[in-house]
Amino acid sequence: MNEAVVAPAVEFPRGGKEALAFDDLYRESRDDVYAYVAGMLRDRGAAEEVTAAAFERAYRKRSRFNPRRGSPRAWLFGIARNAALDELRRRRRHAELNDEPIDLDGLGAAQQSERSELRLALAEALELLEPRERELVALKFFAGLSNAEIARVIGASDSNVGTRLHRVVNKLREVLDEDA
Amino acid sequence: MKTHRDDFDLAAELRALRPAPRHEFADELDARAASGFASQTDPEATAWQRLVERVRAIGPRNVLVPVTASVLLAVVVATAVIVNERPGPDENRGQVDRLALENRSPSVKHQFSDALPNPGAPPSESSLKGGAGAGTQSTKPSAGAEGGLQYESAPATGSGQAPATGNRDVERGAELVLRSNPGEVEGDARQVFAAVRTAHGIVLNSSVHDQAEGDGESTAEFHLLIPSAKLGDAMASLSRIGAVSSRHESTADITAPTVTARDRLRGSEAKIDGLLAQLAGAESDEERTAVERDLRRERRIAASLRARLDRLHRRARYARVTVRIEGDQAAGGSAGWGVGDALDDAARILVVVAGVVLIGLAVVGPLALIALLAWLAHRIWLRRRREAALG
Repeated sequence: MNEAVVAPAVEFPRGGKEALAFDDLYRESRDDVYAYVAGMLRDRGAAEEVTAAAFERAYRKRSRFNPRRGSPRAWLFGIARNAALDELRRRRRHAELNDEPIDLDGLGAAQQSERSELRLALAEALELLEPRERELVALKFFAGLSNAEIARVIGASDSNVGTRLHRVVNKLREVLDEDA
Repeated sequence: MKTHRDDFDLAAELRALRPAPRHEFADELDARAASGFASQTDPEATAWQRLVERVRAIGPRNVLVPVTASVLLAVVVATAVIVNERPGPDENRGQVDRLALENRSPSVKHQFSDALPNPGAPPSESSLKGGAGAGTQSTKPSAGAEGGLQYESAPATGSGQAPATGNRDVERGAELVLRSNPGEVEGDARQVFAAVRTAHGIVLNSSVHDQAEGDGESTAEFHLLIPSAKLGDAMASLSRIGAVSSRHESTADITAPTVTARDRLRGSEAKIDGLLAQLAGAESDEERTAVERDLRRERRIAASLRARLDRLHRRARYARVTVRIEGDQAAGGSAGWGVGDALDDAARILVVVAGVVLIGLAVVGPLALIALLAWLAHRIWLRRRREAALG
C-alpha cells in the first residue's frame, strides 16, 4: 500500500486580497502533483525538483489565476504539466532520458511483502503505455483529477478525455490478460 | 476462461501504485512554501530568465493600472505640450493679464516718436506712459529722402544689397490687421516694437489709443520698414500678437526703373567726365564758361539720378508694413470670457486630446498588434514543443 504523506497546513505570506486560497490548494494538491509528475517522469529526483518548481511558479503566478477559466487544481496541474514537459524536453535534449521502470519502493508503492503478482504486472503494463497514455493515467488515478479537470489541463474536450481514458484502461486490461 | 477483468479492480490497483513523496522532500517543500519561496530562486537562472519570470508573475491585471495611468499621463503631457506650442490667435492671453487689465486706468493715450538712433528699438516704459493727452497723434521721422528717414542709419541686413528674386529687384509691402482685447492694445503695442527690433526694422510712425474701460475705441497703428529678407519672420511674429483679422502682402517688380536709372546715371557720369576733359582743354573764357554751365547742369542731373537709384534700392531692401490693432470685445477680454468661451476652450482641448490619442493609437496600435502576434506565435511554438516531448 502507498504510505500517505499528509501535507500539513502551511501558512503562506499573503499579499492582500487574492482570489485563490493558495494554502488550501497546496495542502490538497502537494502529493497529487508529485504523483502526477513522478508518473510522467519516472524519476524521483526529477519529480521532486519539478514539483517544487511547479508550486513555486504557481505561487508567483497566483494573482493571475482566473476562476472563470477552470478550477484551481486544473490551473495548478497545467503549470505542473508545463514544468514536467520542460523537464522531459531538457532530458531529451541532453540525451539523458532515463527510461526507468517504476520503482515501486521508491515511489511508495505497496510494501514488498504485500506486493501482489498482479500489481507488479500492472506496473510493467504501465511501462508499455505511450507517454500521452501514461499521462492520462497519472492525472486520473495518481492525481485524482476529474475528466473535466484533465480536459482543462491537456487542452482537450471532456468527451475526448473520457474516450481516451477508456481506451487506456482497456489496453492495460488486455496487457494483463495477455500476461495471465 | 477467467481473466483479470473478472476479479481485478484496475482503478483501485492503479491508485495503489500512486507514487508518494519522501518525507524529507515533503518537509523541505512545506518549509519553502511557508517562506513564500522567497530564497529559492534558481541559482543557474540567468538575469534575463529571472526578469522574465518576475514580469510573468506580475499578472496582466496588476500591470493594467500602472500602464493605463502612464498612458493617461503621457496623453496629458503631450496635450499640454501641443497646446503650448500652438497658441491660437486668442490663446496668448492669460487670466493674469486679464486681471491686470482691470486695475488699469480707464483711458490711456500714447504717442510714440520713432525717429530713433537705433531704428526699430521699442520706446522706453517712460515714453510709453508719458504721452497721455487728448487725441491721437502720430509723428513723422525727421526730414530726409523718401519720407524723411536716414536709411543709412538702419542696421545692415544680409549683404546690404537690395533683396532680389533671382536677378530682379522686388519691392514688398504688407498690411496686417489684428484684433485684441480693448485693454490689451498697449501691451500688444510693446510686442509690435519687440518684433520690429528683432527683425532689425524701423518704426516710421505709430499711434496707440488704449481705452481700457471707457466707451472709446482702443486702436493702434504702426507704419514699419522691415528688411525684406526678414519680412516672413516679422509677419509671423506680428501675427502672433493678436487675432489676425486680415493680412495682405504685395510685391512689385522695380527692376526696369532701377536698370534705367543706373544706365542713365552711367551716361551722365560719362558726360561729366567728357565735360571735365573739355573744360581742361578750353582756350577761351567764353568756351570755359559754357562748359562749366553744362557741367553744373549735368552734375545736377547725375545727383538726381543717384538719389533716384538710392530710393529704388531702399524700396527693394525694406518692405513697408502697416500694422493696425483694433480693440475688440469679441476677441476675448476679462468681461467677455464666459460660459461660451469656456465651452470653446473645452472643445478645443478635447479636439487636441483626440488628436493626440489618434496619433498615439496610430503609433502604438501597429506595435501592439505586432507584439500580440509575436506573443501568440511564441505561445503556439512553445506549446508544440512541449507536446512534442510526449511524442
